[in-house]
Amino acid sequence: MSLRDHSDDRSKWASYAPLLLLLLIFLGALGFALAKSSALERDMRIAATQNMLWVVTQTQMELLVLTLAASSPVGDDAEIARRFDLTLARLNLMSQGPQARYLDDIGHLQSVQGMSDALLTLDPVALGHSPDLHAALSDLGQSLHPQINRIANDVMTTDWDKAATRLDDYRATQQVVIFSVAFALLAALAVSWLLLRNQRKLHLAQLARLRAASLLEQERSTSAMYRDFAAIVSHQMRTPLSLIDSAMHRLSRKGTDVTAQDVAERRVIVADAVGRLTRLVDTVLLLAKLDTDQLQARFAPISMRSAVTSLVGEAQARHPDRELRLSCAEGPLVALGDLHLVGHILDNLLSNAIKYSQAGTPIELRVFAQGQTIACAVTDQGAGIHNQDLPRLFDRYYRGNDGGAGHGTGLGLAVAHELTELLGGRLTVETWAGKGSVFTLWLPVAAQEQEVVHE
Amino acid sequence: MATTQIIAAALVLLAVARTATAEIPILTLTGAVNGAPVSLTRSALKDLPQHELATSTSVTDGTPVFEGFLMRDLLSEYQSSGETVVAVALNDYQINIPVSGFERFDVIGALYKDGQTLSPRDKGPIWIVYPRDDHGELQDIRYDTRWVWQLVALHVE
Repeated sequence: MSLRDHSDDRSKWASYAPLLLLLLIFLGALGFALAKSSALERDMRIAATQNMLWVVTQTQMELLVLTLAASSPVGDDAEIARRFDLTLARLNLMSQGPQARYLDDIGHLQSVQGMSDALLTLDPVALGHSPDLHAALSDLGQSLHPQINRIANDVMTTDWDKAATRLDDYRATQQVVIFSVAFALLAALAVSWLLLRNQRKLHLAQLARLRAASLLEQERSTSAMYRDFAAIVSHQMRTPLSLIDSAMHRLSRKGTDVTAQDVAERRVIVADAVGRLTRLVDTVLLLAKLDTDQLQARFAPISMRSAVTSLVGEAQARHPDRELRLSCAEGPLVALGDLHLVGHILDNLLSNAIKYSQAGTPIELRVFAQGQTIACAVTDQGAGIHNQDLPRLFDRYYRGNDGGAGHGTGLGLAVAHELTELLGGRLTVETWAGKGSVFTLWLPVAAQEQEVVHE
Repeated sequence: MATTQIIAAALVLLAVARTATAEIPILTLTGAVNGAPVSLTRSALKDLPQHELATSTSVTDGTPVFEGFLMRDLLSEYQSSGETVVAVALNDYQINIPVSGFERFDVIGALYKDGQTLSPRDKGPIWIVYPRDDHGELQDIRYDTRWVWQLVALHVE
């Protein structure tokens, strides 16, 4: 058993191995796409903050304004000083940090530093304002313009180049992302498919197991049923047969001394035993027909009044010591059914009532109409039926846990119930512990114009 | 227009600054502040509690150490009652900054960088510096525009 389990485990893992691989590919592809787009985002953020073109343009503009201020015939010292500072600040900005590296890359860092130095040689704070200084500043500004223009040009073309490269990168990344996501999607689909397939396999295997188990169970219960059937039927036959046997023995022992009364006494016993045997064989035959679907009900209207009268009469003849009461309601009590089968059902209910109640207590059969049904209620004053026996009362071979039940075959009520269903009726039971039970057969009312079959 | 007035005021201050060397006002406060317009000298700004802040910037390398006053200290010193500050730079650059940012972050008006006085020839006299290394959300181009350098005037609205 344990060996088998191990190999099962291994095969289970083996079936999940491609799944794991696909999952890894899926995660890898997604991770790659994520890393690519994150790098792109970082690059764009840096590019956005750098904005070198803006820095150069600002410098260009400040230099221009300084040149204009210095060229003005009425030199405003404060304004010139302010513009001088601003121009210098912009040139400083260009020669620091990331800006300096950028300019170094395109070969302009030296010229920017040179511009700064040149400007500082005309520092109004150090030299003091004078028309000559202003004129020199104006000349310097004009001479620097071509240089700063060239830097602006180069920065612009470099920026455009970079933007184009970045766009290429972006497109490539986009393709990688699309490819990765598509790949991940395919992997996910494959994973789902594998999972579903495995699950289906498991499900089918489980179904097969269940089916095999249920077939086995069915087989067991069938053979058990036949075993029960043979045991019970043979047991039930033995009792009447031994009664007949002993009656015959007594008569033969008496030899010629046999009186008419002796014969009459034995005749009653034998007749009773034969009656029991006949009913048993009847039941078994009905059962066989029910099981092979050979039982065809011959539906016809039945006058229940006359049917129950003859049934009670026969039962009374079999059990002269018991009190059987019959009461029929007023009006036509005509049910639709099969007279023979209805007789069998009611005979069974009456026999049970007699069998399971004390001698000296009466048995009552009441017939009445209720709605579209005719009811035949058989009441005894026996011990009643245990609650735990009720759900299985109509099951075949179920004989209850009560001591007295040991007498039955466990077939009578089952056959009665099955016949009732065949007739489209209902068989109900009400019981009170220690007081008795009422078994009621409900049959549909026959239509008025149908011809009534009498017993 | 308020801004033109501010600029005019700043220009006047600068003109004055060139002649008087000792106590030159470097920042003008206007708008919803107590006793507006307020002209503040470097020493007045240094009288505010000073803070150090080491942070990277988008225009320099490394992590310079800045030193200056907290923007919220400056505003509360002059009982500012506005929600927005219009920051104006020497080159007329101006931008609206919500005051709430000064409450949430330790934003400083830096007077020194790496121990050196910030000069108008670089990013002085005052550079608004955000603690961008301490808060991920400040590493955003929308905050970079609030790092006003060469700050000369604040108008509270």
